[in-house]
Amino acid sequence: MSRIGVFVCHCGENISRTVDVEKVAAEAGRLFGVAYTCDYKYMCSDPGQNLLKKAVAEHKLEGIVVAACSPRMHEKTFRNAAKAAGVNPFLCEMANIREHCSWVHEDRDEATAKAIDIVTMMVERVKRNKKLQPITVPVTKKALIIGGGIAGIQSALDIADSGHQVVLVEREPSIGGHMAQLSETFPTLDCSQCIMTPKMVDVVNHPNITLHTYAEIEAVEGYIGNFQVKVRKKARSVDMAKCTGCGVCMAKCPQKKIPNSFDKNLGFRPAIYVPFPQAVPNTPVIDRENCTWFKTGKCGVCQKVCGPGAVDYTQEDEIVVEQVGAVVVATGFQLYDIGPKPAGSAIEGYGEFGYGTIPDVIDGLTFERLASASGPTGGKIVRPSDGAEPKSVVFVQCVGSRAREKGISYCSKICCMYTAKHTMLYKHKVHDGQAYVFFMDARTPGKGYDEFWRRSIEEEEAVYIRGMVSRLYQKGDKVVVMGSDVHIGVQVEIEADLVVLATAVQPREGADTLAQKLGISYDKYHFYSEAHAKLRPVECATAGIYLAGACQGPKDIPDTVSQASAAAAKVMTLFARNELEREPIVAKVNERFCVGCLACRKVCPYGAVEEKEIRDRSGNLIKVVAYVNPGVCGGCGTCQATCPSKSVELDGYTDEQIMAMIEAL
Amino acid sequence: MNKTARKYESAALADEGYWTSVSQAIRQEAVRLLEQGAVAGVVGYIAGRRTGTAMPVVAATPDQAKELIFSPACVNNLALYLTKAKKEVRAKGKLAIVAKGCDLRALAGLLGESQLKREDVYIIGIACAGVYGAHADRSQPLCDATIARKCRECTVREPTDTDLVAGTLPALPALEPLEAQELARLEAMTPQERWAFWKEHFSRCIRCLACRQICPFCFCEQCLCDRNRPQSVETTPRPAGNTAWHIVRAMHLAGRCGGCAECERVCPMDIPLNLLNRKMAKELKELYDYEAGLTPQEKGPLTEYKEDDDESFIK
Repeated sequence: MSRIGVFVCHCGENISRTVDVEKVAAEAGRLFGVAYTCDYKYMCSDPGQNLLKKAVAEHKLEGIVVAACSPRMHEKTFRNAAKAAGVNPFLCEMANIREHCSWVHEDRDEATAKAIDIVTMMVERVKRNKKLQPITVPVTKKALIIGGGIAGIQSALDIADSGHQVVLVEREPSIGGHMAQLSETFPTLDCSQCIMTPKMVDVVNHPNITLHTYAEIEAVEGYIGNFQVKVRKKARSVDMAKCTGCGVCMAKCPQKKIPNSFDKNLGFRPAIYVPFPQAVPNTPVIDRENCTWFKTGKCGVCQKVCGPGAVDYTQEDEIVVEQVGAVVVATGFQLYDIGPKPAGSAIEGYGEFGYGTIPDVIDGLTFERLASASGPTGGKIVRPSDGAEPKSVVFVQCVGSRAREKGISYCSKICCMYTAKHTMLYKHKVHDGQAYVFFMDARTPGKGYDEFWRRSIEEEEAVYIRGMVSRLYQKGDKVVVMGSDVHIGVQVEIEADLVVLATAVQPREGADTLAQKLGISYDKYHFYSEAHAKLRPVECATAGIYLAGACQGPKDIPDTVSQASAAAAKVMTLFARNELEREPIVAKVNERFCVGCLACRKVCPYGAVEEKEIRDRSGNLIKVVAYVNPGVCGGCGTCQATCPSKSVELDGYTDEQIMAMIEAL
Repeated sequence: MNKTARKYESAALADEGYWTSVSQAIRQEAVRLLEQGAVAGVVGYIAGRRTGTAMPVVAATPDQAKELIFSPACVNNLALYLTKAKKEVRAKGKLAIVAKGCDLRALAGLLGESQLKREDVYIIGIACAGVYGAHADRSQPLCDATIARKCRECTVREPTDTDLVAGTLPALPALEPLEAQELARLEAMTPQERWAFWKEHFSRCIRCLACRQICPFCFCEQCLCDRNRPQSVETTPRPAGNTAWHIVRAMHLAGRCGGCAECERVCPMDIPLNLLNRKMAKELKELYDYEAGLTPQEKGPLTEYKEDDDESFIK
């Protein structure tokens, strides 16, 4: 190939500020094989792209180098432009002189010299590029949703309503997530259960939704449109097909004193249980750790009393394999625990708050269970220590959140609003009680949110004290709260009956492990990373995997539901097509030289390498070689780096091209 | 290397009876296998024309099998004859192979790298007392003065996972670990001294590639170093190409080489190649607690990703 066009972009001032773009274009014009060069302020704009198309026609260009930003930004844009101009899109390459050059250098002369080098290398590469044709792969029109909280439920319902199959996997015995635990929701104070449980029922009744509760993701393989997911369905010990949900087993179970984690351990449950009465599915599970039968081999009461004979102690974990085309991750959050943290953890606990040992210091979710009509106290707000009605309650915001010294610098976003809600719920139930709130800032950006917060102060008489709490300690039956009021500059001490901490929102335990199974990225707190903070907020960088809800960052219910529907829309967009075009940047084996040591198969992260037998015409085996399945290959090039005889190469990144690029320097 | 300071013992390490009993056990089994038609050939050693020598052979008839021997001169790593590089041997059908500890480690590697199937090979393992070094005086018996350096610190004298073990190991005295000492000396050098050491050795390389031809792991049909589009390694014996070749060789053997030291034995320029192999093996042992060739491995440490892999090197 000898007629290459080099198009140098100013990127406004992003590149031209530190790189002499005109000189880059001029120098590129001197390179052997370059037939045309130019520079332009915004190559990606409509006039810029037209410039490219016109130059291809006028100068009969056979290869294109666009010296501009990262290929991750605009490679697709320019390849489409090349295609429109009649050039195979894979003969168009980006020379990244922005992220790799102008943005990271200050000296203009040196940056310009480097930009020229980058362009020179790319010209050498394009000379050796081959015309490639896109690979098409079929799309399995079935979605996997991981997590059955409000995010997962919303996504599942939206996708299922559009007519596609959905598999919903939930770790707990029931779907519902945190929203099922809440009493009322801000800013309208409507009952959480009343708006949540109908959706849960919709899920279980939906003909397009397959529900796996008490199940976890074991392994994920494949790629967009063609994922293979192994789901481990934990042994429930109850046959879901036979159980009628009558509840006799739960009533008769002699083990009744197991702390109920759904009620934040305020109440008790039996060893065979549903987490809460409105659970979906309404089929109990046996908690094998606490069940007398599993501990001692004696008891068996539940099996005896079960009319349909659904209790099955011999049940084992079951692995279900699901073929899906898209994955929505909606694993939600957990609340920060103020207890001591393991050595080496980047996040610290709160020794000054007693590390969670003071019984009347609780977190927001525990308060929700106290205030909930379906909670352990039937909605009566009492202190965990002695069951007395608290007459003064101190709410502390930003516990863990926005506390850089404790290891978390982000804002948990929902605490300001739910604390305002808590003060109201409290006032509605304990009319003579007084709520105090220690806060840094009140962050109420949302429709009706600020009005809601004002109402808690102006109508419900909550006392807001701007300042931090330095210490909590037990004094008699009171909890002393030592803090400061920075508005009037004094130290404050309140003897409270109950203290509620608005603890930070954190990703679920094990979020990192799941991310590694899915091959998606996450930040230092283990929140999952979206592909672009502004323009692709619900997609992962890994194609075919989408995010919904608090697993991506702290979110309230309205935001979670919006994101869940957005993720569902992305899945539907994907499912609107029967086939997907994939980039043909895949590895190919040189069967002449491959000796079949299959080192490539060992290192391939996509499982794309298979054994292939080469036989002569009479069927005698000549040799066994490696074969790369182009539909599965992710184009990472690990096989190429590993192959001892260099018998496998990635199109567009062959050794010949890389060597030519190095030699051009 | 100080060759003059040390005095070597010339007392035989194993008596004649040991060598005879091993040879007899090999012959007996080889004859049985060939007579029964269980294998198409037995890869082993026969005596060379000159005394104190031996050479590899593929015995295809019981009569040929009666000639098989085992002696200190049986230095070759026979695993080489089962790699794809020697297609005419493999084409004969199922083979039996006489294997010392070194050969076994290579066989385990070949099994792990899909070059061989265990059911396609019958292994006659040898309880091995050791073999002659490259420049040994072969008029002497196997002794402190004549034994190969690799054998001085051998850890695989007793074969495992074989179909038969020929002979019983005589009691052997502990010998001074010369390779380990040399390695320690190398490691004590500054990087500059070490670089100068290898540079000197590599500069003498004549690129005969005997090290490649003898290595059971160099089974590629076309070596990377013979390719010219693109040419990764300069082919003429000049310093840059020589260094590149030896680095490629060392890297490709890391985590695979079982330490048979055949490369070093055949090197006409006496480049201490096994020292480089040993250094790579030591690194793998220290970093990943991995030793190549002990059992056939589906994945070695350099081709496997584990979630708890050490990532401290990522800054």
